[in-house]
Amino acid sequence: MTGVRRRLAPYGLLGPGAIWLALFFVIPMYFMGELALREGTFTEGFRSAFEISNFSDSLSGNTEQLLRSFWYAGAATVIALLIAYPLAYAIALRAGRWKLLLLFAVIAPFFTTYLIRTIAWKTILADESPLLDVLHFLSLVPDDGRVLATSGAVIAGLTYNFLPFMILPIYASLERLDTSLIEAGKDLYASATQTFLRVTLPISMPGIVAGVLLTFIPAVGDYVNAELLGGTGTSMIGNVIQSLYLEQRNYPEAAALSFVMMAAILAVVLIYLRVAGTGAFMGEEEERR
Amino acid sequence: MRDTSRLEGHGGSPPRLRIFLLGLGALVASLALAACGGDDEVGGGSDQEVEVAKPGPVNGDLNISTWVGYIDKGEGNTISEFEAEYPGTTVNYNEDVNDNVEFFGKLQPQLQEGQSGGRDIFVVTDWMAKQMYDLGYLQEIDLADLPNVEANLRDDLREPPFDPERKFSVPWQSGLAGMIVNKKLAPDITSVNDLFDPKYKGKVTVFTEMRDVVPLMLLADGIDPEEATKEEWLEQIDQLEEAANSGQLRRFTGNDYIQDLTNENVVASIAWSGDIALVDNADAEFVMPDEGCTLWSDNMVIPAGAPNTAAALAWMDFVYDPNIQADIAEFVNYVTPVQGVQEILTQRDPELGNNQLIFPDEQFTENCVAQVDPPGEQADVDEVTERFQEVVTG
Amino acid sequence: MMEAATATARTGPALPARAWRWLRRNALLIFAGLAVLYMLVPILVIAAFSFDSGNAQGELDFAFNAFTFEYWRNAFGNPDVNDSMIKSLQLASLSMVVSTAIGTLMALALVRHQFFGRRATNLLIILPMATPEIVIGAALLSMFITYNLDLGLTTLFIAHVMFSISFVVVIVRSRLIGFDRSIEEAAADLGSPPLTTFRTVTLPLLAPGIVAAALLAFALSIDDFVISNFNSGTTVTFPLYIFGASLRGIPIQVNVLATMLFAVTVIAIALVLWQQRRAEQMAAVRPDV
Repeated sequence: MTGVRRRLAPYGLLGPGAIWLALFFVIPMYFMGELALREGTFTEGFRSAFEISNFSDSLSGNTEQLLRSFWYAGAATVIALLIAYPLAYAIALRAGRWKLLLLFAVIAPFFTTYLIRTIAWKTILADESPLLDVLHFLSLVPDDGRVLATSGAVIAGLTYNFLPFMILPIYASLERLDTSLIEAGKDLYASATQTFLRVTLPISMPGIVAGVLLTFIPAVGDYVNAELLGGTGTSMIGNVIQSLYLEQRNYPEAAALSFVMMAAILAVVLIYLRVAGTGAFMGEEEERR
Repeated sequence: MRDTSRLEGHGGSPPRLRIFLLGLGALVASLALAACGGDDEVGGGSDQEVEVAKPGPVNGDLNISTWVGYIDKGEGNTISEFEAEYPGTTVNYNEDVNDNVEFFGKLQPQLQEGQSGGRDIFVVTDWMAKQMYDLGYLQEIDLADLPNVEANLRDDLREPPFDPERKFSVPWQSGLAGMIVNKKLAPDITSVNDLFDPKYKGKVTVFTEMRDVVPLMLLADGIDPEEATKEEWLEQIDQLEEAANSGQLRRFTGNDYIQDLTNENVVASIAWSGDIALVDNADAEFVMPDEGCTLWSDNMVIPAGAPNTAAALAWMDFVYDPNIQADIAEFVNYVTPVQGVQEILTQRDPELGNNQLIFPDEQFTENCVAQVDPPGEQADVDEVTERFQEVVTG
Repeated sequence: MMEAATATARTGPALPARAWRWLRRNALLIFAGLAVLYMLVPILVIAAFSFDSGNAQGELDFAFNAFTFEYWRNAFGNPDVNDSMIKSLQLASLSMVVSTAIGTLMALALVRHQFFGRRATNLLIILPMATPEIVIGAALLSMFITYNLDLGLTTLFIAHVMFSISFVVVIVRSRLIGFDRSIEEAAADLGSPPLTTFRTVTLPLLAPGIVAAALLAFALSIDDFVISNFNSGTTVTFPLYIFGASLRGIPIQVNVLATMLFAVTVIAIALVLWQQRRAEQMAAVRPDV
């Protein structure tokens, strides 16, 4: 291969993908931005304009739902982390010959449609279901209370649906853990807790960070769980955007709200990464190996 | 081992500058693309000419979008009879309308371009039919092409306020909006105001359809919906919001309230009269609220760009044959728009002839009012609609 | 009483204490087992209800009615369900092929070449993964609306390929990074032209990564609801059908088909894994080259 061809080769390989993404991701974002700046009403038509107030209006009109989305997504992320970490640890380091089977069982729910899984929860959590009877009996739910159509059901649904996203990255980083490091800790008279905190946890940190991001970000914008499992006063920002676009046909506000949501997520994520440490997420560490 | 020497940078501009240049390039490209295409105006009506639906030889596919529970099923049902009458036709009966606003929102981008999304007939409520027509999304219908309709349409439906000359709509069924109540679990609910009784907290639902919910609430508070002011509408919506926030109302629903009533997640709900036939619960009953109900019709309309208007017109005329309509009426339990059906059904079963849901008599509906729009100019209507949507979305 | 005490003294600590010790030692595994069970519950519910007789219209009504094989025998009896499933399968297959091809090429470029715009391309790949689905769906809709494009299978195809590319790149890239290039260099030394080397050496060794990426792309497409909801017009894919049906009544056939889909994918993955294990075993047995 001549020098010029070698220089151009990567662009050739990159070409189709980059063009596709540019055309169908970057440009739509631009159009959404343009739509967000329009003014007018649906019946008269939305004219091109520079209505920046759409952004602040959509924020002030929907602050409650925005905060609620962060609260639900945050709660779901934390619960998912608490469930996923021990599970991933057990599979990576304690499962022995069951490892593959357990991993399989963890990914398996992925193979039924997202919607059907969530609808199955509607059956499981129905007011008259056996599960509710048990919960009433254990006084975890008041006798006239319910689980379905409450914020609890939405959070539970979010946790369940995003659990694999939390488990897999943590598992991946724990799997690479060199067990001799743990033994070294023991040799140096560290207690099990200390070994965990000083050796295991830091090494699995990239996995935790990845898992948290992969769970939190899509959860904030989720639409299905609130729609199917929620009731009044549980709608998340995703439901509002959907309603604005497809029911109220208020395209400028819908587009503006989408940007506001993305900005909010970005802000939260940046703060989180600063606290937790970055680099691992961008995969640069891997390539230097 | 990998030859890492090839991985060293080519030297030159620092990374941040590169990203900036690339970003700028992308922006310029986007602007260029935007400039050479795209609409200056989005939304608004269609600028196509309004056509009249053309009749013709009847064959091919007929695609209908309608609500659930609106046609008879099983042996010898209307669809199979139509297909037998017109060999070579296939009826694709899609029950994909859950709520007028939702359905409209989904299809609007295509309707604006004069495309019907592959459908030949929509079945939508009066006010939505009018809205679609005003936006230019519908074709007009010439009653001369529909002899059965011309002959058998109920007199009180011939000149409705929203389409006085029946230029673009043909009623499919009429109905009442009242309540469905589980008599065993909520025996004392007789008025829409009872739905707000804290005793039934979390076990009650209402519609996302503003023109049923708010007039019913106005009636329950003794206000005539036809005379109500915008402030009174907004007040009712405030009450609704309170009930939603306190958890009194479980959800806002379209057709999906039927399942909740069946499995007793919900004990009472604002309801459409014929849906009682779909609720699979022996304790559930349709209850006419003390203060009255709202009356509405769902209409067949033909969207612009419908691929098979001949079959659409044939279908409309076909279902206005009283014998065919009798089967439908018997099954769906809504108020039939076709004259002559009551006699046929009374012959089959005298009780059917007296069924208040299909043939409501004067007394049954004495306090009922027709569905109304919010009062005032378009801007006022929009304000009330927006406020209601806000509450409904949560 | 005395005998019991002596008996205990001879055989070790009392049963409750032993049980408690066993519990503590295996707490992690027990927790893991419970967590896995939790993840599988909805699947079991879905499968169980595929044997339900449903209500009068043969639909799910969230309470078990009667046990029947009827819907398994008549699994393809509902034309609407079938149509939507066929559309989904078509869409997913096409999307899988195109996005895997494009994504693999991109991954090759990113890992093996250094070029102007590498960091930016990295960013371009990560952005769609980090953007909530509702925003992607809404942005695409904004563009399609502004250009007055016809919504349907084409727009769905565009969207599905777009969001799959990023995932393909990430998976193939991670496979490429651990790649031993000495085999390729050996082939080049033996006179093989670059394209032939690529075809006969690189591609087969990359195969597991590419297959994994392809499967993921397929799964993402067949599962997609939110983005499809915005951009499908009146075309109905399987998830869209399920959502619509959830509002009016889900035919039991949906459960049957979902269980079938699940079983097929599980068996496929099991076969792949078993095949891989056999290949490894045989490689271990073969004498060193």
